[in-house]
Amino acid sequence: MGDLVEQLVHGLTLGSLYAMVATGLALMFGVVRLVNFAHGEFYMLGGYAFWYAYRVLGLPYPVAGVAAAAATAVFGLAYERTVIRTILARTWHVQLIATLATSITLTNLAIIVFGTQPKEVPTVLSSAIAEIGGVRLAWQRPLVLVAAVVVFAGLEWFVARTKLGRAMRAMSQNREACAVVGVDVQRVALATFGLSAALAGGAAALVSPLFNIFPDVGALLTLKAFAAVIVGGFGYVKGAIAAAFLIGVAESLAAGYLSYAYKDAIAFVVMVAVLLVRPQGLFGRRIGI
Amino acid sequence: MTLMRRGTIGIAVGLLLLLGGEGPGALAQGGPPIKVGFSSAMTGPSAITGEGVKWAAQMLADEYNAKGGIMGRKIELYFGDNAGTPGEAVSAVRRLADVDKVDVIVGQTHSGACLGALPVVKELQVPMVIEACSNPKIRDLIGKNGNEWAFRVNPDDIMLANQFAKYIAQSTKTVSIFAQNDDFGRGAAAAYDAAFKKTGIKLVSTEFFDRGQADYRPVLTRVKRANPEAVLLVMLASEGSVFMRQFREVGLTQKLYARGSMATVEFLHQVKDSPSIADGLVEATYWTPALDPAWEKQWLERFKVPVRVHGSLAAIAFRYALAPAIEQAIKKTGKADRKAIRDALETVDVADTPVGRIRFDDTHQAFINMLLVQINGGQLKLLEKITIQP
Repeated sequence: MGDLVEQLVHGLTLGSLYAMVATGLALMFGVVRLVNFAHGEFYMLGGYAFWYAYRVLGLPYPVAGVAAAAATAVFGLAYERTVIRTILARTWHVQLIATLATSITLTNLAIIVFGTQPKEVPTVLSSAIAEIGGVRLAWQRPLVLVAAVVVFAGLEWFVARTKLGRAMRAMSQNREACAVVGVDVQRVALATFGLSAALAGGAAALVSPLFNIFPDVGALLTLKAFAAVIVGGFGYVKGAIAAAFLIGVAESLAAGYLSYAYKDAIAFVVMVAVLLVRPQGLFGRRIGI
Repeated sequence: MTLMRRGTIGIAVGLLLLLGGEGPGALAQGGPPIKVGFSSAMTGPSAITGEGVKWAAQMLADEYNAKGGIMGRKIELYFGDNAGTPGEAVSAVRRLADVDKVDVIVGQTHSGACLGALPVVKELQVPMVIEACSNPKIRDLIGKNGNEWAFRVNPDDIMLANQFAKYIAQSTKTVSIFAQNDDFGRGAAAAYDAAFKKTGIKLVSTEFFDRGQADYRPVLTRVKRANPEAVLLVMLASEGSVFMRQFREVGLTQKLYARGSMATVEFLHQVKDSPSIADGLVEATYWTPALDPAWEKQWLERFKVPVRVHGSLAAIAFRYALAPAIEQAIKKTGKADRKAIRDALETVDVADTPVGRIRFDDTHQAFINMLLVQINGGQLKLLEKITIQP
């Protein structure tokens, strides 16, 4: 029983990471109908920003975390203004190539700028061990879970209650109608990219103390988050969050009780299984955030 | 013959003597540069190895070229990116051989990449000196076993496992293996499985992981459940730091043995916040900075980061196998082309190197020393130097 609880805790921690990255991916698709294959690199950049703020500048952990999220948000805004705005009206082939090219460019830039040696960013919480009911875990793990819940609650409030959030929802339902009634669709798209990037940067600040930061840390993460977005119902944010936790837990249980070597395949096995039964995804009724 | 003509002939003969001429090599002093290709993982999760190889190659080229090259022939460097995978290794070798027209390749650092590259170096007839690929299958393919163009300096995992298992058996009865899910990890796991059987060690479990993993806790929970006396890690330093933190987080206290690059300054640099996190770990390896402190110092001064093990292995292969072979090839044939270098590699015999004698047998395998290196108080300690018999 202790084993099962332990594997569930691992699964939920991983799920939180996947969920924060998948949420951004789902938001982007929901609002601008674009799959951003460079999204994992937002996480990577957030990780390096966090490392720089925490290890190099020596800022306190919460400040460094917010700074990392803010720096990634700024990058997201710049990315929207340069790459995305140029390709938004083009075919999906062009969008695919452009976002993939950005992903490869950013990874290689990171190799040049930060080197290939992984960066370690242990914090007080990642080094302090708690023992709860026979399960030993770093305090950073409960922090990740609590922070993820707070972030998702905040996002829900933002999308439901704020003017910008409502505009995002409206755009996810009908971009043209929004433009007709005077919604500044470009500004909303810009904000969506900033918000999605901030979520990836925030996830990096939360999770990096447990894992390492290295140039292609985002590659597999993008694919897992993408699987979560598909399983959750393409473009449906709450679905993506639920699916990300499902994938995290499934992966952890498979690694713990079946085979660790094939754990990365689990996300895609879950995805294929769900698509066979529900082609629209677990929660996908329609596209919309 | 006039006095003047006799004088001219005399000067010419004198010049020849000054060149120290004995055979074609004397006339071959100077000439076009020797193109050396270094192939390793420059991108992907293993990019740290390629970066080390690249830096080592630059240091070597600067050092040799400052002395005028090898027999007056400068060293020109080319790099191939195998991304640590067999498929990319094929492209990297083809590019180095066909586009860059290199005379010889040093590589491929990763066993999978090496296995991918072997048929291509044979097809394109370009010599390749392997510096750090330990999959035992390689020996079954090179030298008299089929591929006359490849030579391996480092020992393979069967040679290492047979010795290391004896050491482990002195204090351990049960072991779990945790290995990279690639040709290196799987080759080593199979070699240790066989070696453990011979020495009476019970293998409790074998787990594989893909490189670049973030979370090892699920598998560590399995290890906890299996409760072996020791864990044998087949992993590189880049994974090792996260793994060790999670190993301690789960509360495991098992003895640690390793193959890869755990007992290295690279790893200690990674875990500098908690340098004793892997205290007691013993690694079976064939290079450690204590073998060549001058090289370590030079590296630190130039790159300001700890010396990298794979770069250092490439340097060993270049300095004590390839450079003597090039020199011999030029002396013997006046050329340093692919065929001449290959033929010369077969006769290389350098006794005095930091890693032991380098001489290739008919399977094109050298037998350098095996080392047992321990992490102790956040420092590396060379426990034992073991001579591997052919």
